[in-house]
Amino acid sequence: MFDYTVITSNWQLILQGLWVTLYYTVGSIAVGLAIGLVMGLIQLSPFKILTYIGRIYVEFFRNIPLLVTLLWIYYALPIFLGVNITKGWAGFAGLSLYIGSFYAEILRGGVQSVDRGQTDASVALGMSYVQRMRRIILPQAIRRMIPPLAGQSIIQMKNTTLLSAITVPDLLYQGSYISSFTYKPMEIYTAIGAIFLIILVPLTLILRKVERGHVGGH
Amino acid sequence: MAASSPRSSAQILDLAGIRLRFGNHEVLKGVDLKVEAGQVVVLIGASGSGKTSLLRCINLLNQPYAGRIDIDGERIFDHDNHGRDRIRLPMREINKIRSHTGMVFQQFNLFPHMTALENVMEGPVIVQMKSKAEARARAMELLASMGLEQHVDKRPAQLSGGQQQRVAIARGMAMNPKVMLFDEPTSALDPELVGEVLKAMVALAKSGMTMVVVTHELGFAFEIADRVVFLDAGRIIADGPPAEVLLHPEHPRLKGFVTRFHESAEMLRPFLDAR
Repeated sequence: MFDYTVITSNWQLILQGLWVTLYYTVGSIAVGLAIGLVMGLIQLSPFKILTYIGRIYVEFFRNIPLLVTLLWIYYALPIFLGVNITKGWAGFAGLSLYIGSFYAEILRGGVQSVDRGQTDASVALGMSYVQRMRRIILPQAIRRMIPPLAGQSIIQMKNTTLLSAITVPDLLYQGSYISSFTYKPMEIYTAIGAIFLIILVPLTLILRKVERGHVGGH
Repeated sequence: MAASSPRSSAQILDLAGIRLRFGNHEVLKGVDLKVEAGQVVVLIGASGSGKTSLLRCINLLNQPYAGRIDIDGERIFDHDNHGRDRIRLPMREINKIRSHTGMVFQQFNLFPHMTALENVMEGPVIVQMKSKAEARARAMELLASMGLEQHVDKRPAQLSGGQQQRVAIARGMAMNPKVMLFDEPTSALDPELVGEVLKAMVALAKSGMTMVVVTHELGFAFEIADRVVFLDAGRIIADGPPAEVLLHPEHPRLKGFVTRFHESAEMLRPFLDAR
């Protein structure tokens, strides 16, 4: 039988885990956006060196599994640098660097997907680089970037469960902890899965609506 | 017609020794072109001859590696044959000069997130810092002159190709340009829409606008152009009044080009028969 009491009597632990999950999700998305903006835009600059830096960054963090990045930052980086890194900072850094590489790709792709003719037309009007970006290119690019940015952010919330591998007390970690003394993994992991569904399904539906609105155009 | 006379009463454009390279490919191999105020100059040539590249050099959308460009007496570009600057204008100056030229593209290139009216107002408001009210009044006037008064609040996606291209002409004209540049303005249009755009261009030419037009519409060239310039492999090999260039081609390449058009389009047939 499904024993609800395991959940109801441990709701405070679960709530703590949920806060940690949300905290890392929102925080790493914010920092990741800043990283992505820089790493995406420098790839569009005329300076070759900057372009390479951006490319290397993206390919590096995009192609290493997030779990490996997290473990490496938490366990290996301190040995390299001879400093201590808290699991919180290690988790935050790993998540931000990882999603930053995806955001960078989305930003770069979004700007580059705008037809070259748009640049030609705005240059012919005598617009400066900044005017061009602000008035013509970015408004069109952002429209196209919203769906992939939102989609990647939803994936990010799910990715935070990897934090439990470096013992950050996120939702999944709390679940494992509760099940370790209640011996009720079925109830607990079902509840954890349900919490993700309850948060992410409505977000996905909203996202789809927004997407349709934008594709519709006017 | 003061086609090739050295006298320069009111020279709007003066390009000399323009050389342009894309990678290792030399697209323009030393081109000279002068255009006087009020003249309509049509550039013709096979694809790959460099006519569009030349047009795009005029407002530095393409940057030549050598040559000199004057617009209305102002030197905007001057490189020697080794690519060294003789003058180097700050970007702000180049943008200012660009804003005195209007350009119309083959693919229209209207801003899709703006209405027709906003497209026409964009340059005057953002680049020339005119007040919105002033820019709006002028834009309405221009759109009306293009027969588009009913479409001012529509987005480009809601307009036909011919309507979009007329908005694009109005957008260029809104800058009060010293010269209008047209890059194959009718090539992307359905045949039944070509006429309305050509009509707008004829009206513009008759109003005294200085125009440089890259086109395959030899009928337009014949009727409207003061000069027809034929490019071949990055060089100008004919430059003169349309009747001379189109009806009495001397250079074998030009002869071949014009003949192909006669055969396929038959546009000039009536004129040829009347000759």
